[in-house]
Amino acid sequence: MPKRPDEPGFSRRSFLKTVGAGGVAVGVLAKGTHLDAQAVHEVGPGAVPITLIINGQAHRLQLEPRVTLLDAVRMRAGLTGNKRGCDRGACGACTMLVDGRAVYSCSTLAIDVQGKQIRTVDGLASGGTLHPVQQAFCDKDALMCGFCTPGFVMASVALLEKHPNPTPEQIKKGLDGNICRCGTFSRIFEAVSSVKGVRRG
Amino acid sequence: MKPFAYVNPADEKEAVAALSPEYEKVLPIGGGQDLLARMKDYITQPDRLVNVKNLDATVKPENGGLRIGAAMKMVDVAEHAGIGRLYPAIAAAAIEVGTPQIRNQGTVGGNINQRPRCWYFRNEEFVCYKKGGNRCFSPSGENQFHAILGGGPTYIVHPSSLAVPFVAYDATFRLLGPRGERMVKAADYFTMPTRENVERENVLEPNELLTHVILPAPGNVKTGHYEVRYKAAHDWPIAFATVILGMDGSTVGAARVVMGAVAPVPWRSKEAEQALIGKPITAESAAAAAEAALAKAEPLSQNAYKVQVAKTAVERAILQAAGLPIA
Amino acid sequence: MASGPQQRNDAPPPPPADPRYQWSKTPTILGTRVKRLDGPDKVSGRAKYTFDVARPGMLYARIIRSPYPHARVVSVDLSGAQRVPGFKTALVYRDSADPKTNVVMYQGDEVAAVAADTEEHAIDAARAVKVEYEVLPYVVNVDAALAGQAPQVFPDGNVREGRGAEAGDLAAGFQAAAFTVEQKYETPVITHVCLESHGTVCEWDGDKLTAWVSTQGVNGMRENYASGLNIPHANVRVICQYMGGGFGSKTQLGAEGLICARLAKQAGAPVKLMLDRKEEHLVTGNRPSAAAHIKAGVSSDGIITAFDAQTWGTGGAGAPASFPLPYIYQIANRRRTHKDVFINTGTQRPMRAPGHPQGSFLMEVLMDELADKVKMDPVEFRIKNLPPEAPNAMWRSYLLEGADAFGWSKRHPTGDPAPGSIKTGMGVAICTWGGGGRGPSVAHCEIASDGSVVMRIGTQDIGTGERTLVAMVTADALGLQLSQVTAEIGDTQYGVSGSSGGSTTAASTTPGIRIAALKALDQLKEKVAPSLGVEPSALVAEKGRIFVQGTPSKGMSWADACKRIGTQPISTEADWQPGMSSVTTSGVQFAEVKVDIKTGIVRVTRVLAIQDCGLVLNQLTAESQCYGGIVGSLNFALFEDRILDRRTGQMVNPNMEWYLLAGMSDIPPIEIRLKNQPERGVIGVGEPPTVPTAAAVALAVRNATGATVRKLPLTPMTVLESLAQKA
Repeated sequence: MPKRPDEPGFSRRSFLKTVGAGGVAVGVLAKGTHLDAQAVHEVGPGAVPITLIINGQAHRLQLEPRVTLLDAVRMRAGLTGNKRGCDRGACGACTMLVDGRAVYSCSTLAIDVQGKQIRTVDGLASGGTLHPVQQAFCDKDALMCGFCTPGFVMASVALLEKHPNPTPEQIKKGLDGNICRCGTFSRIFEAVSSVKGVRRG
Repeated sequence: MKPFAYVNPADEKEAVAALSPEYEKVLPIGGGQDLLARMKDYITQPDRLVNVKNLDATVKPENGGLRIGAAMKMVDVAEHAGIGRLYPAIAAAAIEVGTPQIRNQGTVGGNINQRPRCWYFRNEEFVCYKKGGNRCFSPSGENQFHAILGGGPTYIVHPSSLAVPFVAYDATFRLLGPRGERMVKAADYFTMPTRENVERENVLEPNELLTHVILPAPGNVKTGHYEVRYKAAHDWPIAFATVILGMDGSTVGAARVVMGAVAPVPWRSKEAEQALIGKPITAESAAAAAEAALAKAEPLSQNAYKVQVAKTAVERAILQAAGLPIA
Repeated sequence: MASGPQQRNDAPPPPPADPRYQWSKTPTILGTRVKRLDGPDKVSGRAKYTFDVARPGMLYARIIRSPYPHARVVSVDLSGAQRVPGFKTALVYRDSADPKTNVVMYQGDEVAAVAADTEEHAIDAARAVKVEYEVLPYVVNVDAALAGQAPQVFPDGNVREGRGAEAGDLAAGFQAAAFTVEQKYETPVITHVCLESHGTVCEWDGDKLTAWVSTQGVNGMRENYASGLNIPHANVRVICQYMGGGFGSKTQLGAEGLICARLAKQAGAPVKLMLDRKEEHLVTGNRPSAAAHIKAGVSSDGIITAFDAQTWGTGGAGAPASFPLPYIYQIANRRRTHKDVFINTGTQRPMRAPGHPQGSFLMEVLMDELADKVKMDPVEFRIKNLPPEAPNAMWRSYLLEGADAFGWSKRHPTGDPAPGSIKTGMGVAICTWGGGGRGPSVAHCEIASDGSVVMRIGTQDIGTGERTLVAMVTADALGLQLSQVTAEIGDTQYGVSGSSGGSTTAASTTPGIRIAALKALDQLKEKVAPSLGVEPSALVAEKGRIFVQGTPSKGMSWADACKRIGTQPISTEADWQPGMSSVTTSGVQFAEVKVDIKTGIVRVTRVLAIQDCGLVLNQLTAESQCYGGIVGSLNFALFEDRILDRRTGQMVNPNMEWYLLAGMSDIPPIEIRLKNQPERGVIGVGEPPTVPTAAAVALAVRNATGATVRKLPLTPMTVLESLAQKA
């Protein structure tokens, strides 16, 4: 127990875990012990077979239901293009497209997107040819350290597939879900503004 | 995240059957934009998640109004022509929620039922009322974004952007439980904290699911929705307001004034409504209504500025409804 | 240090470089707009960051950290972790039996660590470690510590007196003043928020360690590992091909680096340890706060006659909080005392132009308050108080140019008279920064018989475009296309070079690169000259050919020339030499804002920056540095604030949701005017542009509203409170 006599914030429930001191049930949820499992088809909490269609290719993985799409793609499928910046749906570095829509893959469960078309930055270029958005980022120097770049590129692709000729306001609002700590926003805006000919998704 | 089991029900009945009568044991996951972050921070540790994102996400006409499936995504709400035409404040609120990525995932049900963004609630170190502790940290702590109305015992602000126009439009929520459905008015759904009921923000039972939002015919009204945000990009509002006015000739016949981000529930101000009724909308009457809306505000040590911000939101929502310039 | 660096406009010019190696007056590539070479790798996700490194059999590690700002570790029980599926190994970082190490000094301080087969299991195991703490008294409030009202936590006191600085005759200065201003100014603690967190992958081969580190200095990390693990320097190799932002926080190895290496040793397997966002905010450094109580006097003709400042700041648990003050402006009669205040938080690390953004804000807000006293335009008032103009002190020229370009003449006096609640205003501020080059920074050039050129140097690219500069300088020296050169960096196997900090990378690396390339070219000329029947010195290399100077037809292609090299490639190396780089830059920035006086919301609508940096090597990436610096400072102005719960000392916003950073909609149009000063050699531009924006924005808010905000960030709360005080 934490010795915290000066603090009135003691718990009515047992809240041992708040001091990083045990108390957490670890992978040991016994099925049916405290849940009425009648006629409920549940999977997990252990690893279960999950098939993800990533950049057009099916990946058959064994994942616990708690594994996020981002972690599944990076650590299990081995596609490390998209990044993890905040892991809480605020920075956008993990942005992927699921059925054509930009999502925070850190805030998406892999098990929730089975059967859907998942596009990551790793699959955006075709062969040796960069996607027009990728090329524009290079041409306009719309990147510095590059860690946010995969997410920005994917958010830009989603934006342009929805609005092939976006207004400045649409570009700004469309990219408001991504943060660049190096501060390349002006150049990203310039790059996305310069892209022509992205087909509506 | 603690490991959990996962259920992918075929329909709403199966979904409800997979829930638990015990709070926090089993949780529905829609877009997961709030839930997964809470689980990663060990604020919520369910044993089982029930996928509800494949349940009804449609919009259907009903009695001159609309019936919205709770699995509808925020982006679809924001872009739905019918919603925009009949309930412009709902569309306006939806388009300001989060970011494109959040709107692409987040659902109507999730927006309504998301938990508070209070930083004491969201950080594991602080064992507050909401987490079974015996205090609210905000009155003597960092309360610049906390409630200015309601008077405790917790000072969270309700995080839902849609809840405010839903209350303003007098929406009804359909809740489905093991014993069937019940209908609850949006205004009655959200609960003020009491010492006895401090951990929840609404009347939803743990084995119930919010499946639909039913909006009555709006009638001939003018609508305003004004949100004040610190950042122009992704940020939570400091205060916002939905105003719905039924005009009686050149004066206000009926009014709904509801504020968000100022109290533990969407805060309807009957004082502001009374101040408007029978008056023409002018800069003066809008300002007077805004004063009335915040007359009972009781700011904490750091959030007196929110009173001013909330007044401005109300005033501008009224002016916007009347088509008057807002600056 | 109580007083910061003073102006160096009297610094002697650098000694001349060896004329053979001096920068070309007719560069081919240098100074142009060159796209970064690794752009395609970065936009396609192929670039491998430390976070992306995967090794066979690699484990994942997590650190168990104190939730309390000050506590004694009573016991650490690893047994729970050992029962977690996938658990591999664990270590106790703070031995509860050792009174020298068993006290944690801030929330997030390291206590123990675990490694497991997956990241999820590592987190499970970390949470299953039981730590018993005895919570000790702590100090989190700077004002209370200053006033002596906080528990005495630090062995030599919570407050450390810095060195005072005094010049001239303060009393006489105040006597000469027609007006005085006496105010308090403050800036908050902010954190680096590198998008790639701090972390490493460590792999042992016997007693040899290979560490992939997200770092600003591979060679510094090698030293940190060797000394931290007490192993021979020769046994450590550090690799960093790509890194996701550092801003000063990745120049030293944190505890996580050594913990990772120790876990890897224990487990007999490679281990990856990347921190999460919360850990980043708590333990990987921050920009210290700064505060000043200043009384200053100004004569009726606008000369600052006296400046008396008591300053303080906190850099956390035992770390200093230094910043320059007065900043840039010349004040004959001045005095400053300084106190470092220690509180129980993570300690500061250098952050982009350490000290200068703080000093700039404190000084520049005072400047406009003084200017208003004498009813003088802020630009004119600044010019009156500047040091004499010099190549590294160009503010007067830049202020005049900028005022003209920005439409400063349309600026209204303090307080926008326009009706309505949206008020517009303009502000200006200036900056300086040292930069400059230093050795050792040894470049290695190889030219092979197939014509390929490799330039190898143990530097790293932290996002500045350094990799591209290495190739550009090489190609420029050899008369080649960029594509004919391979740049190899980011590995201690490439030799010794410095950390990428202080805006010194380009100035430290490029002289050696140019010299190594030219030496290699000299050797190539020697091999080619006999066949052309001339002396080697008669040859030049241009446009992919080597030929007799003045007779382009008498020569051969680069490929043909290289065929004469034989099986042993040409190999040269060269260190940095003085004379090709110099120090100290100057810049000015103008900002325009709109302030909603009914909500306190500030929107920046325009920024103009005029900045020099010596010889501009790559116009495109140098401009990017300026954009980035300005955005960083805009964040400092409007959004960033590490918020501690005043009672518990725990951070309430250790995330990217409540720790606010600008997004696309917050970014105004920004105009960059880079001033090329080729005669000064390379200096560096990473830091100076991030100095003055915050002050310029705050002064634009003052100009718009008539209310002076003396505290950052410019939140709606702060702005509305300042407006209320004015009224």
